[in-house]
Amino acid sequence: MSVSGKNLLRLLGTCAALLAGAAALTFIVDPLQIFRPARLFAAMYSTDTRLQNAGLIQSQDFDTVFMGTSLAIHFRQSDVDKALDVRSLKLAMTGSNSHEQVFVLAAALQRHPDRVIWELDDWIFCDAVDIDANPYLPADLYRRNAKGIARYLFNGAMARESAWILARSIPPLSNLAARLSTDAVFSFTVPNVDDIFVLSSDIDVGKAYNATKTTAAFTNITDPARSAGFAEGYNYDAMVRNFESDAVGLIASNPDVDFDIYFPPYSILQWVAMRDGSPATLKIVYDLTTHINRRLAEFPNVRLHDFRAVRDVTHDLDNYSDVIHHSPAIDLKVLSWLANGTYLVDRSAPTASLERLRAQVEDYQIDTDRVAR
Amino acid sequence: MLFNSYPFIFLFLPVVLFGYFALGRRSHILLPVSISFYSFTQIAFLVDAYRGNVARYALPHYALFVTYFPHLIAGPILHHKDIIPQFERADAKRPDPHLILCGLIIFGIGLFKKTGLADGIQPLVALAFGQATPSFDQAWIGAPAYTFQLYFDFSAYSDMAIGMSLMFGIFLPLNFNSPYKATSIIEFWRRWHMTLSQFLRDYLYIPLGGNRRGRVLRYLNLMITMLLGGLWHGAAWTFVAWGALHGAYLCINHAWSYFAPKPGLRLAPLARLAAFVLTFLAVVVAWVFFRADSMAQALSILSKMADPTRIVFGGAEIAKAALIALYAVIAWFLLNTQEIMGYDHRNRTVGEHLRAVPMRPWFLYASAAALAFGILGIQQHSEFIYFRF
Repeated sequence: MSVSGKNLLRLLGTCAALLAGAAALTFIVDPLQIFRPARLFAAMYSTDTRLQNAGLIQSQDFDTVFMGTSLAIHFRQSDVDKALDVRSLKLAMTGSNSHEQVFVLAAALQRHPDRVIWELDDWIFCDAVDIDANPYLPADLYRRNAKGIARYLFNGAMARESAWILARSIPPLSNLAARLSTDAVFSFTVPNVDDIFVLSSDIDVGKAYNATKTTAAFTNITDPARSAGFAEGYNYDAMVRNFESDAVGLIASNPDVDFDIYFPPYSILQWVAMRDGSPATLKIVYDLTTHINRRLAEFPNVRLHDFRAVRDVTHDLDNYSDVIHHSPAIDLKVLSWLANGTYLVDRSAPTASLERLRAQVEDYQIDTDRVAR
Repeated sequence: MLFNSYPFIFLFLPVVLFGYFALGRRSHILLPVSISFYSFTQIAFLVDAYRGNVARYALPHYALFVTYFPHLIAGPILHHKDIIPQFERADAKRPDPHLILCGLIIFGIGLFKKTGLADGIQPLVALAFGQATPSFDQAWIGAPAYTFQLYFDFSAYSDMAIGMSLMFGIFLPLNFNSPYKATSIIEFWRRWHMTLSQFLRDYLYIPLGGNRRGRVLRYLNLMITMLLGGLWHGAAWTFVAWGALHGAYLCINHAWSYFAPKPGLRLAPLARLAAFVLTFLAVVVAWVFFRADSMAQALSILSKMADPTRIVFGGAEIAKAALIALYAVIAWFLLNTQEIMGYDHRNRTVGEHLRAVPMRPWFLYASAAALAFGILGIQQHSEFIYFRF
């Protein structure tokens, strides 16, 4: 064999050895805790929830799953546990659609929890790409098939995170490694599962949530240049189809699981923005909600809670950082309402809460002094 | 030739551009992948045929030239005179372990540049170009982040194309030569997307008259060439602004070279350093237009870059600035791929130091690590920036 031929073989052999070494490191440290809960090394968690959830489902003990979008992402699992007397696992994902939520919930239900708490936004039922075409959700890792496991093990980012978690566990390096734990370089920077995506303790809640920010957001989204965005993706037939195939499909196939589904308390300005900027979109939301409420009332394992017309909260704009996202104080109120069934939808009158919301939206007068145009 | 004349430029070009912009705004129109790159090769072929500068090529060789896959999606732009004679060589039809080895190493370096470097810095770009309004320091992290991302992304594809082609025994032209080491805009364009620069020079700038019709027309030709070079990237005013800015840079650079006094021997190193810094900053400013979604966003980011009254510079910004500094060191001070591999396109030689002796251990491990980390870095949601052009 020529010298070049030998060099080529040495190069390929060394490359294969490095690939195997990286895969072995990821397998041993297992940053996502896919293969085993963290014991040898301190557990670290990522705020990339679409990725992290695949590991949480395997590694955590839970009897209740908490799902939703960014409206549910700041909840603390410990608060959920205390309020509802459960052992919960939060799997909320920012900007998630119904395909993603139902796929992740279905994976979690394979661990046989008793209960699902599901924060439901109407927009999650807009058409979205299929799970296997979604580049941000590692579907094969949830399925734990060979392709998903190979992608996890032969992954430079995971090998880097593994090396860093390993460094944090070696006493002479641990302090330095902890100091370097910046999200500019590393993804797994959260040491406690309860802290994933909760608001940092040094955040000034009064500054983050106030009427000034809420009205500024309202002004922004109702700007004629942007208000066309309201209607984006809203198609009644498609949304009903996605609701039926995703939500109803999951509920019907898990009759032994209790579903506590709730509509979150958006600020009244969310509805007023639609009322004034895109009445057709508002009608789609009303019609879709009517369908959802009536349909869910048919399932004995579903309790539907509707917080959208809780005037004390939704009309107090200091509770929000924009027109929909509420403060941690409202998180706790939501949990107490869920625990007490305060706003449980009556199966015999499934659209009564919607009618209250409709009346509030029609009556609401914008405080023009606050909402600068 | 009709296309060489100013009447064509001034009468017909506005009509062509109007149609281009109108089509560009209709995103549902599907175009074949890599249409721009094989359009370039065919324009060059047709113009050369018209000029009588095309040899008689066999149809299979010509067809292979048109469809040669390694370069198709993001260049380099090939020229028939360079490539088809290589297809005709008998020794190109036999696998050569030396060329396969060198091609694999170059491919590995390219893959690592893409997945390790370009994708690694991509999150920092959002500091300037994301939803939130950046502060002064965030804008000055985000804009250079895009500057380095684009270079490592685009030059990575060129390296991978060169490496892949080399495994088949075909030497592709170089497309990058450490462009951010340039000390003038003229030099920058001799180092950045070199095959596009050569194409624009040979098939647009020189037919327009180049520098043969006086200084004023030379500057006008430069502006037209760079404006069209900008428009080639897409039907958006941001690309027009980017092209216009580089056209203006080149005009100023040529005028400066002509009118300004040469620095003395003692001041030469300082002048060279100043020229290097100024060139890099000018390039960064132009990339802001290239990357921005709209002119309004570009101007907003530039205004933040010029407003030091709002500075955050917390722990996250310091860590990100350190990462930018690391990328700058790589781009400014390390050898580039062809220097590492001794790739000589003109003489068709590569890696002569590897031909007869076993690879040194450090070179073996470094090459294998580049290839391995390049493979490990492949992500599902990562594509080359220049795929869209």
